[in-house]
Amino acid sequence: MKTKVAFFDFGGCEGCQLQIANLEEDVLRLIDIVKIVSFREIMKEHSDDYDIAVIEGSIMRPMDEERLKKIRKNAKILIALGACACLGGVQRMINQWPVEESKEIVYGNSEKIKDNPYFDNFHTKAVDEVVKVDAYVPGCPIDRNEFVRILIAIIQGKKPPLPDYPLCVECKKKENICLFEEGKLCLGPITRAGCNAICPSYGSECEGCRGFISHPEERAYKEVLENYSISVEELLHKKSIFNYRYIEKKRDKNE
Amino acid sequence: MKIMLKEEFLSFVDGLIESMDVEGVKAKDKKFVFDRLGSSEELRLDYDTTILPPKKYFLPQYETIMKFDLSKQFSVKKEEDHEKRVIIGVHPYDIVAIKQMDKYFLDTHPDDLYFQKRKNTVIIGSNILNVSEKAFFGDMETGYVDSGYDLMITDLGDRVAIEIGTEAGRDLLRGYSLREASTGEIEEVKRIINDASEKAKRGLRVKPQKWHDLLEKSYNSEIWKKQAEKCLSCGTCTLVCPTCFCYDVTDEIDLTLKEGKRIRTWDGCLLRNFTEVASGEIFREKTEDRYRHRFNRKGRYLPTLLGFVACVGCGRCSSQCIPDIADPVNLMNMLAEEVSHLEEKSVSPHTETIIQSTEVEKPLYVPMPATIKNVKKLTKTEKLFEIELDNGRSLGHMPGQFVEISIPGYGEAPISVSSSPDGKRFQLIVRKMGDLTSKLHTMKEGDKVGIRGPFGNGFDLEALRGKNLIFIAGGLGLAPMRSLISYVLKNRMDFGEVTILYGCKEPCEVLLKEEIEEWEKREDIQFLKSVDRCPENEKWSGEIGVITSLIPKVKFDPKNTTAIIVGPPVMYKFVIDDLKNLGMPEENIIVSLERRMKCGVGKCGHCQINGIYVCKDGPVFNYKDIKDLPEAFT
Amino acid sequence: MNKINITVEHLTRVEGHGNIVVNLTDGRIERIQWQVSEAPRMFESFLRGKPYYEISHITSRICGICSIGHALCSLKATEAAMGIEISEQTLLLRKLALHAENIQSHILHIGYLVAPDLFRVGSVFHLVKTHKETVLKIIKLHRLANEMSDLICGRTTHPITLIPGGFTDIPSKKQLEDLRKKLTEIIPVCDDLSQVFLENIHMLPEFSRETEYIALTGDEYALYDGVIGSTDTGKHPIESYEAITNEFVVPHSTAKFARHARESYMVGALARFNLNSDRLSPMGKICAKRFGLKPVNYNPFMNNVAQLVEIYHCIEDSIDIVDKLLEKGLKKNDNAKYTVKAGRGIGAAEVPRGILFHDYTYNESGLCTKANLVIPTNQNHNNITKDLEAFVPMLLGKQEKEIELNLEMLVRAYDPCISCSTHYLKVEFKR
Repeated sequence: MKTKVAFFDFGGCEGCQLQIANLEEDVLRLIDIVKIVSFREIMKEHSDDYDIAVIEGSIMRPMDEERLKKIRKNAKILIALGACACLGGVQRMINQWPVEESKEIVYGNSEKIKDNPYFDNFHTKAVDEVVKVDAYVPGCPIDRNEFVRILIAIIQGKKPPLPDYPLCVECKKKENICLFEEGKLCLGPITRAGCNAICPSYGSECEGCRGFISHPEERAYKEVLENYSISVEELLHKKSIFNYRYIEKKRDKNE
Repeated sequence: MKIMLKEEFLSFVDGLIESMDVEGVKAKDKKFVFDRLGSSEELRLDYDTTILPPKKYFLPQYETIMKFDLSKQFSVKKEEDHEKRVIIGVHPYDIVAIKQMDKYFLDTHPDDLYFQKRKNTVIIGSNILNVSEKAFFGDMETGYVDSGYDLMITDLGDRVAIEIGTEAGRDLLRGYSLREASTGEIEEVKRIINDASEKAKRGLRVKPQKWHDLLEKSYNSEIWKKQAEKCLSCGTCTLVCPTCFCYDVTDEIDLTLKEGKRIRTWDGCLLRNFTEVASGEIFREKTEDRYRHRFNRKGRYLPTLLGFVACVGCGRCSSQCIPDIADPVNLMNMLAEEVSHLEEKSVSPHTETIIQSTEVEKPLYVPMPATIKNVKKLTKTEKLFEIELDNGRSLGHMPGQFVEISIPGYGEAPISVSSSPDGKRFQLIVRKMGDLTSKLHTMKEGDKVGIRGPFGNGFDLEALRGKNLIFIAGGLGLAPMRSLISYVLKNRMDFGEVTILYGCKEPCEVLLKEEIEEWEKREDIQFLKSVDRCPENEKWSGEIGVITSLIPKVKFDPKNTTAIIVGPPVMYKFVIDDLKNLGMPEENIIVSLERRMKCGVGKCGHCQINGIYVCKDGPVFNYKDIKDLPEAFT
Repeated sequence: MNKINITVEHLTRVEGHGNIVVNLTDGRIERIQWQVSEAPRMFESFLRGKPYYEISHITSRICGICSIGHALCSLKATEAAMGIEISEQTLLLRKLALHAENIQSHILHIGYLVAPDLFRVGSVFHLVKTHKETVLKIIKLHRLANEMSDLICGRTTHPITLIPGGFTDIPSKKQLEDLRKKLTEIIPVCDDLSQVFLENIHMLPEFSRETEYIALTGDEYALYDGVIGSTDTGKHPIESYEAITNEFVVPHSTAKFARHARESYMVGALARFNLNSDRLSPMGKICAKRFGLKPVNYNPFMNNVAQLVEIYHCIEDSIDIVDKLLEKGLKKNDNAKYTVKAGRGIGAAEVPRGILFHDYTYNESGLCTKANLVIPTNQNHNNITKDLEAFVPMLLGKQEKEIELNLEMLVRAYDPCISCSTHYLKVEFKR
């Protein structure tokens, strides 16, 4: 009996689901070991009978919450796929302001969209702020090899393998030149590894899209920035792109 | 010493490149790395240091140990690497580090994977022309080596001076024109070596011979905490260090679900979860403890274990540590300010070259196939497995030893043997905790597993003969202890008074209920059991309270009894204190400890308690030997 | 009374969420709606206050398939705002990146999203059983396009190396030589796929409706650079994009529409073809001829063919670009030097689905104070609706399932990227 897998998307760009298609020839191997019963982007067929539900996208409206809760009831295992599902995505930055203000900016006179459920945004949430999540595949987009590793682990009954050490480990193993030496602000020392340090490998600073490790050495990190004359403001800008959830948590803790 | 003209030397290198894998130092932007050479033009003998040391050739960042065929019951195949390789440009301090690695990996429990790569590699060393800002190999006296290489070259501009180290080195040069070096050229080489060593002195006020004493005396210094406040726990220092070789082992299977492999990858003691076990316990949780451990391993533990100071002054950790706290020169100087007098030991980074005279045949990591003969459910979370090796031989273990049990695709875990050493079968009591144990719990009679071992220091049966014994087992601690208890009870006449105290959290967690009933019936032992609490609806005929509450309830002579204690980490301090207060001498107390283990043979580094390895020096310890180890009882 | 009610909820094999609703009574159209139910993420709001060097990293997240296009258009706007001039090498590499994305997106669309309709199956997974060789060829082309994006941008979805003024890292000479070889080798694979497409193209409906087509146009087949072109009104400067796209609210709906010279217009591969076909590469022209595609073609289903034509053009033009780069030799640090200053800049580019505009205003610290984005699919919603209205009467004689499939195929032909369009569209048609 092959495990049945269904893919769902909410508020996101569908780039993470695209990575499944980007497995290229391995997609054929994938459909050999699992049965994909729903994948709106690629298939017409749909079934509500699935073992594993894979969720991409953040939750932004009451109608999204309802749909997600139904999916959670149907699934034995729920996987949050990508930064939007795991953390809230870049759109979580919208939580800086009241929702009404954002709607004004984008749609102007908001009378037309009042009372319209399609526009009934609340502050963006990650999937686990609505339902229980059994496994996380972080990243923006996900690393498709990591997705395969985690899916295989779930099929085997193992704990999904997710490193809890900083990107620096992977950068060093690849013999990259550290971006701090070029005066760049890299979030690598506080960000969860598993992407094989892809961005620093191309000379671009890590922006923390995989979320932070569970015990980031915050104080030490801030001190490092001072030594390299990088302002706290710059750090806050960088952190807020993918980790506004973290900033919200800290703000709530301090209040 | 020989001389070869530069042009000839470049042809020599190109000639090597045509026939085999040649790795040499190349430029990478403004830095240098060891990498595969496409032509002799890429070689940069004028480099100061590389980002990663050449250890990556002998212990790769990711190395496949073995492959599995999951379509069969138990099919594992060791990964072979017969690739011949030449590395050109290895600096003397890195050669010292390689010799240290050789000692570590080949001395006891020789590592066949390491050996294979090592034997197939020719090392062409190169004397240092430029010194990096943070290098201090001058202070460490590792700027010069007279062995450990196949060839040692010095770039003299239009000529290259060559010292021949081995026959393999001499063979490589066949067919190329060489002449003897002149006295002037020999002097030039000497001068180059001295210049570099002079430049690589950074004012280290404590020579390596005194590091052992300094680190011992400053174990509780506030400096560790202050430095660690800046530490990112990023692992960089250990990863770029030529004398750090800890590694982790994991199993992966591919998309076909039919094939898989076991790989080992670099790990580092600075990482927070380096010592984390399946239950979630972390044995070196504070950053300052981890920061201090690294220096102690290099300056104290490895010198004691293998006779060399495990730092060669390359400066890689210093230059790549972003918060700049990894520099041994700064740290040692700081610590030295707090200590007035320091003793010297006769150690240094240098060690003998052993690779030439070593042969390793036996595979260290390939498990033996074994079959599960019986499975018995003991509690909600524990099962007892009876296992027999497929080769028909008995395990040959001592009570207190452990095996590494493998399930291809799931991993390997250390489990103490629970049965006494008689017969072909042995028993393991396994708690369902992580990936491997959870999978094991789904397996039935007839299923196959892999076994490595037995490993570790077991109970000293000879020393215990004739003694009075008191066994104090907490929870799952009964599992390893049972191997000794069974032995003692089978040979009851060989031992004095025997008392068994057993405690666990609740009645439903009691292991080996029938066996305990037997013990209760016996008249030749004292036996008491206790639970921390008993829920209302459960029956319990024993005591209620923590295990230490049982001690006053039994009759024994503390001064003439040997105590064997195994239980959860938190239990030891309390039990040992109570026993000592009753007058039990420290040498009468024996414990068995657990830590995270991967290799089981003292290589991967995870199970270290200060300078000792639980897998080799333990898991059974005499309390007297470890009582002063700060990390023993957390 | 004969009632036909069709609701296709969460249309499959398109990017993003959309519903088609059609109600017919006795052959009379009561209602046709193309609804976009995608959650609005409101990028224009949270770009406020972000520094200029982060903007393109954020806006690439608008879309997972055309993230390179969004990033490049975003960079063009930022560079226009601050007067940053990129080098020839950067321009050539960026064109390569855009070509890679175009190939990837088009073959994903034709192979994975549209092909199943040609064979009347639910998904490409079915085709694996019946047409394995063809599927493997689709995958091969898709793989190459992705590897090409990886090479130039570090990653196809959400590129890594693209920054204001240039690149954080560029490919090596050897890597470009390898790429050139692979591009040449993939052409026969494209030919095989063209053949299969040609043999099955009769499965696409014959339908035509005159409308306006808008795309970038210029001296070449414009994808990276150009001015706004319209089949009705000729050329217009980029700066006039607001007057061209005219996002406005229709009185009887809650949506923003886009329209220019007529009641609606179309963007995308077919629009580009209709405006620039004479500037296609030789292979592109041959492919168009083979399929009988001539400007101006008013059949939205031919958008799929136009995409195939563009695949050839992009491969051939990429080979030319690689040759140029290899001839000049690659310079490692070729990024523009600039000072951060206040300003407003508009960038326009053709992404796979059509013309895209990014418009940013920065203050003197380089922080974004205002942003406006006009997405291609957004511009198509109106045209989709008008097409549905014209197409439905032609389908009245068919079975309900057949009507439904044809309507789905019509929307799919546009290759809509609904996640990009952060707006909602609802149209009511009453007669």
